[in-house]
Amino acid sequence: MEAGSATSRARVGWRLWTVVPVLLLALVVGLVVTFSSSLVDLVGSNPPPADEFDIRRVEFSPGEIRITVRNPQRDELTIANVNVDDAIVPFTVDGSTTLGRLRSSTIVVPYDWVPADPITVGVTSSTGIETVKEIPAAVETPVPSVEGFLGYALIGVLVGVLPVSLGLLWLPALRHAGPAWLSAFMAFTAGLLSFLGLEALSESFQLQTALPSALGGTGLILLGVALSFLGMTALAGRLTGGSAATGLALALLVAIGIGLHNLGEGLAIGASFALGELQLGTFLIVGFMIHNITEGLGIATPVAKTRVTILTLAGLALVAGAPTILGTWIGGYTSSDVLGVLFFAIAAGAAFQVVVEVGRYVARHAPGGLKSGYAIGGFLAGIATMFATGVLAG
Amino acid sequence: MAKIRLTRRKLLAAAAPLAAVPLVGKLALDAQAQASGHDHSSHGHPRSPASHVHGAMGHAAMVGEEAPAVGGPNDLDALLFPPPALPYEPGRVREYALTATDVDLEVAPGVFFSGWVYNGTAPGPVIRATEGDILRVRFVNAGQHPHTIHFHGIHPTNMDGVFEIVPTGGEFTYEFEARPAAFHVYHCHSMPLKKHIHKGLYGAFIIDPKEPRPPAKELVMVMNGFDTDGDGSNNFYTVNGRSLYYARYPIKVKRSELVRVYLANLTEFDLVNSFHLHADFFRYQPTGTGDTWEYTDTVMQCQGQRGVLEIEFTGLGLHMFHAHQSEFAELGWMGFFDVVD
Repeated sequence: MEAGSATSRARVGWRLWTVVPVLLLALVVGLVVTFSSSLVDLVGSNPPPADEFDIRRVEFSPGEIRITVRNPQRDELTIANVNVDDAIVPFTVDGSTTLGRLRSSTIVVPYDWVPADPITVGVTSSTGIETVKEIPAAVETPVPSVEGFLGYALIGVLVGVLPVSLGLLWLPALRHAGPAWLSAFMAFTAGLLSFLGLEALSESFQLQTALPSALGGTGLILLGVALSFLGMTALAGRLTGGSAATGLALALLVAIGIGLHNLGEGLAIGASFALGELQLGTFLIVGFMIHNITEGLGIATPVAKTRVTILTLAGLALVAGAPTILGTWIGGYTSSDVLGVLFFAIAAGAAFQVVVEVGRYVARHAPGGLKSGYAIGGFLAGIATMFATGVLAG
Repeated sequence: MAKIRLTRRKLLAAAAPLAAVPLVGKLALDAQAQASGHDHSSHGHPRSPASHVHGAMGHAAMVGEEAPAVGGPNDLDALLFPPPALPYEPGRVREYALTATDVDLEVAPGVFFSGWVYNGTAPGPVIRATEGDILRVRFVNAGQHPHTIHFHGIHPTNMDGVFEIVPTGGEFTYEFEARPAAFHVYHCHSMPLKKHIHKGLYGAFIIDPKEPRPPAKELVMVMNGFDTDGDGSNNFYTVNGRSLYYARYPIKVKRSELVRVYLANLTEFDLVNSFHLHADFFRYQPTGTGDTWEYTDTVMQCQGQRGVLEIEFTGLGLHMFHAHQSEFAELGWMGFFDVVD
């Protein structure tokens, strides 16, 4: 009996120790909060808050400018005055005038803006600090419409689905390639995906610099990369039952990796166009088409020696290309900068994971393995091709 | 990212031969142009205004209720209306007391500027004497920085407000004979000068001639600016310290009465400021001295420059006045005379 109660007491003690650090932490936090000002006085004095707004989006509609601002700092921030092109303008605020941490409001300014002219908006806080944003050229912000929706979809098809499908048409030719050349094409795919992965990663790093530091951009990127890398690993395991991916399974993984990248690409195109930062032109669209046709080659290579139906190929093309359409919609009609960072991070993680899968395939199937000239040459050629055609989409 | 794309796009021109399949792209472009409803063609001219809203907006219409300004109708009367001119009397002493303090000034609705001021406002109080009066100004420094008062005019150099720096908590009495008859200014002369002036330590200083000016409705307008975010350029421009104040509350004057405006420029950072009257003309006497009057509707003043305007209004109603630098006008330096019978 005694031994039993001793054990249960020990068990209670063990449980207690799981919460003791948390309780003590709460106590210490309470003390620090209470005496924080005296703590700061020991070492100096705090600088005043920057009192700058984060101007997230400026939208133009006939006779009106809408400015969405966020408070990126700890202290509250109050919208007191609004300038357009260095002139005080009347305005109303859709939302609260005083913004708590990370809160947003939209300022509505009746204004007779001139299309294609540069324009500057300035939002002044109650402490007199003016945050200025320059728009290189004012263009009417697209509003959601059936035409616009279909238009974005058409652009997505042209820069995503179509080139990938065309690339898949290399399949009959690939079927005649010998094992050495086939492994070279697989390595080419790995090079291509490395390029896309790095591009997505750098894109997400660039986007996160625009986020308020409180939103922890780098942590968000690592989270996105890790999530998609591990998710893709789990998917690969499930598709192949544990062994290295080959054939259709590998083609599907490549298609998913490319598809996630194209989601980010579509998002970038849609958002840049909606914000008036991008000219959608013939050259840009053609550039993206040439850039993306090699993605089809990457998907076709793993199934070069596998029987696949046209329907399966169409499915693969959709997996890789259709996300571009989704991306243009999200980018064109929403304004979440957090989403952009996360999507590109997810794309990077997926691409890198597929590089690992393809690498394992090449290591196993290429005559001479990863060290063969075909593998090394193919990998470098993949990167070089993406770089060269990337200039067109740049 | 998008910017990189924009610049890199130019490389495409060089790669034009590669784009041997431009037809599909062109189709896409046209489809997009139509799809997004971006109908430049219907506007006819690509630079035509996007707005179909007329009236209601535009700064010319910002008057009365529409003009955002701080406070109520008579808040600035002590600065706008100078103390009355006194007839010449030999040996008379005129005493003033000025205290420098640090205050938060509301210069536009909800926008606060941490200023340094004489007697609570920027500009400070109007100091007035008649030529020959003995002027005695007791200055107390209740601010956190050393200050002085430097008066324009003729006086002994030890009363010049340059050598006698008054520390926090200190005081100094300036005493000298008021001369010459003119419209002057006064301001702090501590270093750094630019900082001490733009923070708000300045004001109007009238010395009336022994032979008085003709009777008139007298007004004082000190033009200034406020750099609320400390970047070395003004965010707001005002007359007497509040942006758009006289647009919100037009100055009522009678048509039968001569209107005399003592106009001074104490704007920092910008080299010149100006005054432009709508719908009428006025006489302008530079520095308020001499017999030469310019007949005009626009005058320009350098930093520290000032003069006297005399207006005989021809018509009734709202007469706009503002800096003829459009930027200053649209950043708050704009107002109205409401001329009544």
